[in-house]
Amino acid sequence: MIGTFFNHELKAFWRSKNTGKSIGVKVVMGILLLLLFSYVLIFGLFLDKILGKVLPDSDLTVTFCGIILIYFLIDLLLRLQLQELPTLKVQPYLHLPVRRNSIVGYLALTALLSFFNLWPIVLFTPFILKVILPAAGAISAIAFIISIIGLSVFNNYLAMYIKRKANLNGWVFLIAAAVLILIMLGDFMWHIYSVRNISYLFFGNLIVKPYLVLLPILLGVAMYWLNFLYLKENLYLEELGSQKASAYKSSTEIPVLSRFGIVGDLAANEIKLILRNKRSRSTLIIGLFFMFYGLIFYTQAAYGETIKIFVGMFMTGIFIINYGQFMYSWQSSHFDGILVSKINFTDFLKAKYLLFTIASTIAFILTTPYVYFGWRIIMIHFIMYLWNLGINITIVLFFANRNYKRIDLSKGAAMNWEGVGATQLLLSLPLIALPYLVYLPFKYAGYPNLGFAAIAVVAIIFILTRNFWIKKLEEDFYSKRFKIAEGFRNK
Amino acid sequence: MIEIKKLKKVYNGVTVVNVPQLEIKQGESIGLVGNNGAGKTTLFRMILDLIRPESGEVLSKGNKVAGAEDWKSYTASYLDEGFLIDYLTPEEYLYFIGGLHEQTNAQVDEHLATLTDFFNGEILKKGKYIRDLSKGNQCKVGVGACLLQKPQLLMLDEPFANIDPSTQFRLKNILKDQNKNHGVTTIVSSHDLNHITDVCERILLMEKGVIIKDIATSSSTLADLEEYFGVGQTIPANTPIIDEEENH
Repeated sequence: MIGTFFNHELKAFWRSKNTGKSIGVKVVMGILLLLLFSYVLIFGLFLDKILGKVLPDSDLTVTFCGIILIYFLIDLLLRLQLQELPTLKVQPYLHLPVRRNSIVGYLALTALLSFFNLWPIVLFTPFILKVILPAAGAISAIAFIISIIGLSVFNNYLAMYIKRKANLNGWVFLIAAAVLILIMLGDFMWHIYSVRNISYLFFGNLIVKPYLVLLPILLGVAMYWLNFLYLKENLYLEELGSQKASAYKSSTEIPVLSRFGIVGDLAANEIKLILRNKRSRSTLIIGLFFMFYGLIFYTQAAYGETIKIFVGMFMTGIFIINYGQFMYSWQSSHFDGILVSKINFTDFLKAKYLLFTIASTIAFILTTPYVYFGWRIIMIHFIMYLWNLGINITIVLFFANRNYKRIDLSKGAAMNWEGVGATQLLLSLPLIALPYLVYLPFKYAGYPNLGFAAIAVVAIIFILTRNFWIKKLEEDFYSKRFKIAEGFRNK
Repeated sequence: MIEIKKLKKVYNGVTVVNVPQLEIKQGESIGLVGNNGAGKTTLFRMILDLIRPESGEVLSKGNKVAGAEDWKSYTASYLDEGFLIDYLTPEEYLYFIGGLHEQTNAQVDEHLATLTDFFNGEILKKGKYIRDLSKGNQCKVGVGACLLQKPQLLMLDEPFANIDPSTQFRLKNILKDQNKNHGVTTIVSSHDLNHITDVCERILLMEKGVIIKDIATSSSTLADLEEYFGVGQTIPANTPIIDEEENH
């Protein structure tokens, strides 16, 4: 029976809309995945060198053993946000003469099919083979690898369990997240204890006493059983589902926006769209994670100012790029309604500009703490913020007129390829290239400051001529709207 | 009100709608019937400028519908759930629609009070997003939003399909009231021949994209339509059912 389930599962994967329909998209996605995979692998392969560089004074093995537990704590937090529950897929089987144990076993097993379970293995195994194996022997190395797998499985099912509980009661999620953050703060802020020491206590001992491997195995198996039993007890659609049990949904208004008339109403609707649908919400959360993007570049003196243009643009415009690339697919489920209702398309576009302006402004404010790395960084951020408002919004909306793919808002955004097409791939090109086309000539002529000034001037010109671009976009939209509406009707 | 000239739509070489000439006058109540795939929804969508016809045009009040905005201010329509913004609560959605027609929230509330019976206490203040409502209740929201716009032209695609018998009855009364007392031109499609002959004064029968009958409703219309749709079916008249078990 489980075999049939897996067969169906494979078909579901290859035939799903998330996988992307055209072969071209599949190929590009495959390459991107491979690239991501190889990045992690390379990071894993050089983990010993990296740890040696970052903490040159301490012993390599000690450092390594210390970070494992921290990794899994962060991993759990990410899983809670991004990992999908394998859920309603069982609906077609529930009323058939299939034993409950097979259904539950299938549900519990497919939960393992997540990229989150692959990363720790790819990341840590090379180090174990390179350092632990020669130093402590094969048995210890195997014990290490099995421990890592055991902890991944434990994390996997713990996250599932918390998410399932949270479906019934939203507080569970908040409490779980708060506990995790408190554990982190307890170490790094208040120094009550050290997660690293605890981690080393276990993994350090694991080297000498390989039988300790039983502990992570036990943890993994126990968590699996807990999930199994819980699922078996709660094999009802609304409890499996990713929809929250019906809490009272109240109507809200965003008073600030109502001052903008219809445009404000439309923007307010879109804000509700973002907050009330899963895919858009996770896009927003991923965007918030990217606020830390600067830490990678600004902490290293090796990166020059040229890269900061990209980083600044990316951080202040992450929402425009990440959310805007799927425009107007977000509204695909009610696009017909928009077309027949009394909405002027100029207002529709102005609402997008308003929304993006708000989002970008918030992102810019959030990045101001980077002033720690110097005022010049804030200046670059501000210039790129203007660039986002002036040029990137217009580019994104230009490509939105060429996007005909429907998306389902109830699925998460991580690893979700539904709605991805050539548009999204083409879009990145002008976004990345254009600011450099303005900046680099000045830089190589020896006037980098003039380059920044030029970017700012171009951006301001575009902001001032916004109404002209809205007109152009509107004309463009009118020639494409049938195709867009038809594409959105294709479920 | 609506004039259709040489309208044609082709999908993959198959003509799905072909209407050479059709005029719908102000204040008429049109019923559109036809089997699945007859082209009813496609015709609706072309009238609403949602799909591009291969040839021909639709005029609303003498102006081309395609690319224009004017008709939107007096036309209200509900074809399917795709017309609703499903992540809003019904109240938010109705206020939004009201706002598009320059109505304040208080005015919307006032208008909604007249729909209390139709909504039957299942729509407002239930604390649900539209996507969490049943299909029938979504239909009520859609129809309610249409009425809120005080339209001159009202278009509904199979409104009776998912709603309960009481609501069907109420909807029929609403449609009659809109048509008779407010002069609203109504175009309604349905598979329920009883309802459609009851509500509409003029019936258009579509088959494979073509309007094959255009008749004013009379006492014999229902029988005619039943004969058309009942092709080749003979219902045995009063055959007594013999139960083998009890008849020995």
